[in-house]
Amino acid sequence: MDYNVYIPKLAKIIEIKEEVGGSRPIKSFRTHFINKNDFSHRCGQSAMISVLGKGESMISISSSPLVKDYLQFSILKMGRVTTALHEMQVGNVIGIRGPYGNGFPIEEWKGKNLVFIGGGIGLAPIWSVLNTALGKREDYGDLILIYGARTSKDLVFNDELKELKKKITVFLSVDVEEEGWKEFVGFVPQNVTDKKPSPKNSITVTCGPPIMIKFVIKALKDLGFEDEQIYTTVENKMKCGIGKCGRCNIGKHYVCKDGPVYSWAQLKNLPQEY
Amino acid sequence: MEKILTKKSFSKWVKKLESYKIYAPVKNDDLWNYEIIDIPESIQPDYPNTVLSPKKIIFPQREIFLEFKASNEEGLEVKEILPEERPAIIFGVRPCDARALTLTDNVFKGDFEDPYYWKRRNQTILIGLTCNIPPSFDCFCLSVGGSPHSKDGLDILMTDLEDKYYIESLTKKGNQLINLAKDCFEEPKVMDKKDLEKIQANSEIQIKRQIKDIKKIPKKLKGMFDTPFWDKESLSCIQCGICTYLCPTCHCFDINDEVASSAPLKGKRVRTWDNCQFPDFTMHSSGHNPRPDKASRLRQRILHKFQYFVELYENFQCVGCGRCISKCPVGIDIIEVLDKVRDYGL
Ligand SMILES: Cc1cc2nc3c(=O)[nH]c(=O)nc-3n(C[C@H](O)[C@H](O)[C@H](O)COP(=O)(O)OP(=O)(O)OC[C@H]3O[C@@H](n4cnc5c(N)ncnc54)[C@H](O)[C@@H]3O)c2cc1C
Ligand code: SF4
Ligand code: FES
Repeated sequence: MDYNVYIPKLAKIIEIKEEVGGSRPIKSFRTHFINKNDFSHRCGQSAMISVLGKGESMISISSSPLVKDYLQFSILKMGRVTTALHEMQVGNVIGIRGPYGNGFPIEEWKGKNLVFIGGGIGLAPIWSVLNTALGKREDYGDLILIYGARTSKDLVFNDELKELKKKITVFLSVDVEEEGWKEFVGFVPQNVTDKKPSPKNSITVTCGPPIMIKFVIKALKDLGFEDEQIYTTVENKMKCGIGKCGRCNIGKHYVCKDGPVYSWAQLKNLPQEY
Repeated sequence: MEKILTKKSFSKWVKKLESYKIYAPVKNDDLWNYEIIDIPESIQPDYPNTVLSPKKIIFPQREIFLEFKASNEEGLEVKEILPEERPAIIFGVRPCDARALTLTDNVFKGDFEDPYYWKRRNQTILIGLTCNIPPSFDCFCLSVGGSPHSKDGLDILMTDLEDKYYIESLTKKGNQLINLAKDCFEEPKVMDKKDLEKIQANSEIQIKRQIKDIKKIPKKLKGMFDTPFWDKESLSCIQCGICTYLCPTCHCFDINDEVASSAPLKGKRVRTWDNCQFPDFTMHSSGHNPRPDKASRLRQRILHKFQYFVELYENFQCVGCGRCISKCPVGIDIIEVLDKVRDYGL
């Protein structure tokens, strides 16, 4: 036992970006470890973020493993820990332990088209895979992003999305009609049905609120996607992140350790406990 | 190694163990519990079952993980707080409670070893006592793979032969304790061995409660996730959580920060036992709760112990100590629940 799994490594916040304002604000944080260490993550893995004095929260690492200068987290303000994070300034120190979880099996996806489907803050875990696929563009076929939020103001990574449109196909949506909005109006699953991504040689990755995931999977099945082509992430309440505190399980699976990434072929056989 | 220890020599032996921290069952206000003992003579290994199992010594109800404080240099300082270095002996451990630790071991090892658990576990020696008569009416160890003289997880098993103890040392650690006071022990005679066998065989007959055909249960439970069975069984549950807090195999916990001063920041991160019978246990900040009612939480308790754990570690996560039965304020009886599961028509 050469290291203590519960002790966070200290990291400095080097950049904060306000992604979304209003009553459900989202901020992105870029961080730098204070001491050199061997932290390295795979796409779709998360980390336990500490605000000492407030507690810990599991947050997806939204930067690609190809980025070596910083780790990025994009965080929706919810309760104790995330509110404290939203009050932090550049230069403040947080704790990070991890990375945790299985991550996306992107090595198996080489040569395939990737269809990313996200809602709201769900773009955070997608961002890491999407940018990795962009960084190794020749390894993958077509890349498509279908992303939506309640209003255009609730879309995260807005500036980056504009850049992204120059490189890959991006379909955006907002839930309700608004002035000046030229793209799709409606929920994300409806946009999926509307844009009809082809199942041929494709993998889909869906992240977002549970209800959205449910209807996206239905839409994908209707379009002819097989269960094995559909990947999603599961969110359950977490404390330890390492399969010991006992709260995040679905059947014998601990989402923190064995998840959060599941193919629909796996997930549909597990009890509905998420 | 097998030895005989007369009751007169017992305290002589324990005195030789002075350098260890010694725990033994102590009666306080009609309740028995493991406490640290100063005066070796006061160890009395004849007792009904303790309210809390020795789990509380290896995996305490509250323990400090780390301390943090504001610092000038990096803004923040974090200091790991590991348990103290002092070998401990627990006397009078019931065989079921020792087996329970071999089950929680599965959880705390693996890819992410738990340093707090293992620091205590590795420096604790378990000296068990055969249950000549069951310490509770609700004992059912035989049904779940244990027995009143099970050696699993123990370093030494003592069996009371009236005026003396039959000592079975099972590990190196056990042998060391005996070698510290060799002159206290005698070699067992043929008669002693016969008495031991008689008492141990008789101890099994004394166990009155059992779950028949328990091997069928894991598979049966698999098909019962979405049945109304759980609504009915959980109806009287008042969500007190006693069943899981007192369980020697339950390991769920919470991690929280306790702040002594906010400016300058100073505090501790602590682990405390948590409980799958509480609504908050799984409730997200959004209010969404994957286990939103008593039925889903009772189902989790039963399925974890008798299906998921079996799938993961090929053992029931239950040692048959009976605590959850005797202490449940509304009389929910895990044996009865499992009997009904076995007989449930699907
Ligand atoms: C694998 C995974 C990845 C996630 N990635 C992101 C992300 O990239 N961005 C983001 O904004 N949010 C993410 N979340 C959700 C985020 O963890 C919760 O919103 C956050 O923990 C709420 O903490 P709080 O202290 O602000 O809220 P409180 O309500 O005060 O919660 C108290 C504690 O309960 C636990 N908790 C409560 N709700 C959740 C939850 N939904 N999931 C996990 N633990 C919870 C946490 O330990 C939290 O500190 C992710 C969750 C999981 C499981
Ligand atoms: S001890 Fe009984 S009442 Fe209390 S939570 Fe357990 S089953 Fe429910
Ligand atoms: S978060 Fe503790 S077991 Fe998964």
